Amino acid sequence: MIEAVDALFHGFNVALTWQNMLFMLVGIVLGVLIGVLPGLGGANGVAILLPLTFSMSPTSAIIMLSCIYWGALFGGAITSVLFNIPGEPWSVATTFDGYPMAQKGQAGEALTAAFTSSFFGTLIAVIVLTFLAPLVAAFALKFGPAEFFAVQLLTFCSFVGMSREGPFKVIASMMIGFALAAVGLDTVTGQLRMTFGINEIIRGFDFLVAVIGLFGIGEILLTMEEGFTLKGTSAKINPRVVLQTWAKLPKYWVTAVRGTLVGCWMGITPGGATPASFMSYGLAKRFSKDGAKFGTGQLEGVVAPETAAHAAGTSALLPMLTLGIPGSPTAAVLLGGLLIWGLQPGPLLSSSC
Amino acid sequence: MNLERGTVSTRTMEIAVALLIMGLGAVVMYDNWRIGARWGEYGPQAGYFPFYIGVMIFAASTIVFLQAVFSRKPRQPFAEPAQLKSIMSLVVPTIIYIGVVYAIGIYIASAIYLAYFMRVLGRYPWRTIAPIAICVPAVLFMLFEIWFLVPLPKGPVEDFFGY
Repeated sequence: MIEAVDALFHGFNVALTWQNMLFMLVGIVLGVLIGVLPGLGGANGVAILLPLTFSMSPTSAIIMLSCIYWGALFGGAITSVLFNIPGEPWSVATTFDGYPMAQKGQAGEALTAAFTSSFFGTLIAVIVLTFLAPLVAAFALKFGPAEFFAVQLLTFCSFVGMSREGPFKVIASMMIGFALAAVGLDTVTGQLRMTFGINEIIRGFDFLVAVIGLFGIGEILLTMEEGFTLKGTSAKINPRVVLQTWAKLPKYWVTAVRGTLVGCWMGITPGGATPASFMSYGLAKRFSKDGAKFGTGQLEGVVAPETAAHAAGTSALLPMLTLGIPGSPTAAVLLGGLLIWGLQPGPLLSSSC
Repeated sequence: MNLERGTVSTRTMEIAVALLIMGLGAVVMYDNWRIGARWGEYGPQAGYFPFYIGVMIFAASTIVFLQAVFSRKPRQPFAEPAQLKSIMSLVVPTIIYIGVVYAIGIYIASAIYLAYFMRVLGRYPWRTIAPIAICVPAVLFMLFEIWFLVPLPKGPVEDFFGY
């Protein structure tokens, strides 16, 4: 315990020089930019910006890459709230209540709730990461295919339960998603599935293409149907709105704590940030006394997925650092970056440094 | 409930979409059966998992289809003629745009597309349209082709400048 605290403060000592603070700032700005641009996911962004770090010292490079990663995690929430277009898979659940809030003219509050929840989720996950890493590493090693399947099945069942439409529509939609993911080269046998002779889809459909197509174009068509007024979702964010929202947020501490727990659990196991955000939203809807109003622009509906997504995004680094198994695509690219810097993630990382 | 002439009801749309998805499920089943959806010598064949996904798509959409056909709920309007018309005014140019992208490259096509929508739907004056329609594709060009080195479809104009 004392060793962990010592290590943490030593880390702060290294990180809090002014050059590293500057790299953090640059990294966060670039990360948010990547998260906001719907075509550039966190994984692509980290990959593109990886060469930038080659001229830096290893510590600064790792700091900057991590900041890009966290920036991208948060950037996805901005487009979700303002345009109903999730910039990243894990911000899909944020659109459920974030966008209705923006439509009601509460975009500033939704964004404040999003970044405060992100901060809370991340902070708790970092603390968990520091103290639980050795214990959890041992437990996560026992996670096999059966456990992964169970986690995913639970997530998909919660989709069916959460939906306002009939269960069979949800099942059909989910299965279409599976079918789209199955398109392309089978990695085991090398056979081509459902490509019908089209070379472009041998590598399958990119997740982001599907998300932008289904959310973005759907949203534009709906706007057209209801007339040409693009619903003004300009966010007027000023300190007063931020303070007012902060005053409201402590009410939702149960949701935030639950979201963080779900996120840490899903990040470590590693289910990833996306199922975590959906599960946290579903749980919040089930247990909140305003559960029926979810989807109409509840602050709680923003807090739940954001805390979970960020706690998961952070704790996804735990299996990456301790086991060498990335918990998300972005973590996988980050892993590549760490390897370039001569770190050997895996069970030996903590013993080798 | 009596609906205005030309209005598409939700029930009609549900039946149409359910049929479409049943067709999709059939395609998924067909192609995965073709590459082998049984248990092979070394475990499941390549089409094993996707084949059953196809079965589930087909089964679920069949149930949605039957529910829509035998539904006793009153008819709900899905879209009125005016709404359909305004959606078509977006869909048709976008389909043309996608075709044009392959012919003359994405940047020139985007400039035309932007100008068209700003003029026809937005009714902006040309002095507002011109800078936006030229600068946005130019910035995207810098961003993707030069900084991020992501190649996008290009046409004769980009060839002329040596890209």
